[in-house]
Amino acid sequence: MDVELQINNTPNPKARFVSWVPSPCRIRVTNPLGAPAPIVNLKITGVSAAGGGAVVFRGGATGAFASSVTLPVPTNGTSVPFFVAGKFGQPSTNNGDVTIQARNGTTLVGSVPVMVRIRKNANTLTTGERNRFVAAFAQLNNQGLGRFADFRNMHVSVSLPQAHGAPGFLPWHRAYLLDLERELQAIDPSVALPYWRFDQPAPNIFTPDFFGASNALGTVQFAATNPLQFWKTDGVQGVNRRPLFNTATAPPGLRTEAQTIAIGTQFPAFRTMEGNPHGFAHTSFGGSIQDPATAPKDPLFFLLHCNVDRLWAKWQRQNGRFNPAVAASYDSNPNNRPGHNLPDTMWPWNGVTGGTRPPTAPGGAMAASPCVGAPGPQPRVQDCLDYQGAIGAPARMGFDYDDAKFI
Amino acid sequence: MAKRKTAKRAGKAGSAVRKSARAALSVATSARRTVKQRVAAMAEAPLAVVESDKDLQAMLGVLRNRDEPIKVRLAALQSLGAAAFSVIAFESCRGDYLATLRQVADDPDPELRQRVLGILMREKDGFAQKKLLDGLKNPAKALVPPAKALQLLSYDVHAEAYAAARAILAKPPNDDARREALRLLAADATAAPLFEKLLRDKKELREIRQIAASALHALNPEKLQQRAREIILDKSDYDDIKATSLMALATFGDDEALGKDKALLNSVSRFGAGKAPAKYKQGARRFLRKFGR
Repeated sequence: MDVELQINNTPNPKARFVSWVPSPCRIRVTNPLGAPAPIVNLKITGVSAAGGGAVVFRGGATGAFASSVTLPVPTNGTSVPFFVAGKFGQPSTNNGDVTIQARNGTTLVGSVPVMVRIRKNANTLTTGERNRFVAAFAQLNNQGLGRFADFRNMHVSVSLPQAHGAPGFLPWHRAYLLDLERELQAIDPSVALPYWRFDQPAPNIFTPDFFGASNALGTVQFAATNPLQFWKTDGVQGVNRRPLFNTATAPPGLRTEAQTIAIGTQFPAFRTMEGNPHGFAHTSFGGSIQDPATAPKDPLFFLLHCNVDRLWAKWQRQNGRFNPAVAASYDSNPNNRPGHNLPDTMWPWNGVTGGTRPPTAPGGAMAASPCVGAPGPQPRVQDCLDYQGAIGAPARMGFDYDDAKFI
Repeated sequence: MAKRKTAKRAGKAGSAVRKSARAALSVATSARRTVKQRVAAMAEAPLAVVESDKDLQAMLGVLRNRDEPIKVRLAALQSLGAAAFSVIAFESCRGDYLATLRQVADDPDPELRQRVLGILMREKDGFAQKKLLDGLKNPAKALVPPAKALQLLSYDVHAEAYAAARAILAKPPNDDARREALRLLAADATAAPLFEKLLRDKKELREIRQIAASALHALNPEKLQQRAREIILDKSDYDDIKATSLMALATFGDDEALGKDKALLNSVSRFGAGKAPAKYKQGARRFLRKFGR
């Protein structure tokens, strides 16, 4: 007897990635030969490689998760649904380091490798995770000729009002990071965007092997084995970044995570974090990252913003602010500019140019994911709040943070 | 002074935060407070700056005032920079902000000059650009060292900047200036032969050859692939530049062609098994694994 296990409800091997959020899955008998009865009880478990991720299961859309689930599966080929999620606190370090197995009694009848793909603290990545990430990022940049040029061109002077200084700041950047992350995953699916937790020392980020070490002038130097040595933006080689703090410590003056989450329980108060810690994290450096129009020239920008998004995610969790229909989840105001209202589509993914929008829309639609459907090719502001699908499962965006639980 | 509306429209939810920001700004701009208190308060001030002309002007006043402690002025600059991320609210005061930056671009404090010129150059400010070019031509007028001037000019490269970089390259005052001149010229399409020559020169510093490899890849990718291959095959070349060359091939090379290049694969195999530092050897092994070896 053989069975097929479909992760994220698709046979596509590229969809074999899960996070803390339950992924809908299916199991069906593809070869009934040797089946003892028209319906067999199959036990589904996860087997973790040493140091690898771990998964948990449940049979329905609600209920407790367990290390295994036993399902009655017809031998006539009918699919039976179940759910799998990463076990919180045990993310993967390599692609396929967890195997989901189905057994009939003690007989293995089917298995698939999966990855618990989670956004992690960049300071604590393994060497392998770090190397894969910088390799994918360097390829995306490809000397300024690659797809990264679109991401650079999305965040320039003319487009800043789409993304900054208004309520859409956090949703826009959530979409921006996700789009970039999906492009990185198209190069190497094992990569997740890491975050720079700027309220803690992160010395491992500012090394020649990772995001580079700055000399006194602020020119970032990379190891000979680091492909980011070929980084180029706007036709200019390299990265200019001069830390105004000792990189063995956290930058001074920034609100801590606890202080940021405590800014207020309503979104209009919370979004003032655009100044501190967000703005202060940027201005903790001289160089490209210091100024809004040039900040994405430095790849560190994306780790900084990943932490900003993580802070929002944790604030959302603490205060239950995933539902766009709840007023406190957003700053709805009749004076908001287009692109900053909940039902508005966001530039550039909507392709709208001219008028209140920039004259061009680089990059096209949001990159699709083989794992999830949200937020869709032309995300609206309201599509970027319920990133875990806490209010509606189809809204899950397919990413999670190592320290932000689901429910 | 630009006229603008105060953006007090977030209702009660944000009022406590805003009140706290205004209180912080009051401390930050008060000469009666200690430097430490003022610097700490600057971190909470960006919100007040973007929402009130009066508060913005107070902050710009601190930045302009040469009698203020330099630590406070630098903190004011950082706070204004953080406020500038609130682009929509900051839009109408950008003019005053940039005008103040131009006023302090020749401040006696070198750190403040450097930071201000950096911000202006990232705004592609013609005033700052002229000051930097003038300083390169006439060191007596220089506001920052030549290496810093070249680095800042790279935010808005054009023919005049290339000419200044070539002049520095012909007679570099120090290694930093030479390196930054080369980085700037890496955007100049006519500089490919220069970088090819530097990459092949084994007497050059590793960092210069690394810059040359990166520049050549941008200006003439096929040539870089060719030269990188030669360096890996050359038993007498240095391990670090071999590692850079290998990284160029691994990341940007044509995998199909590389996989068939037995001479290259054998050289990489020798490199991976030789006396090179461990992380270079790991890179070699990763490269070989890609081609099933």
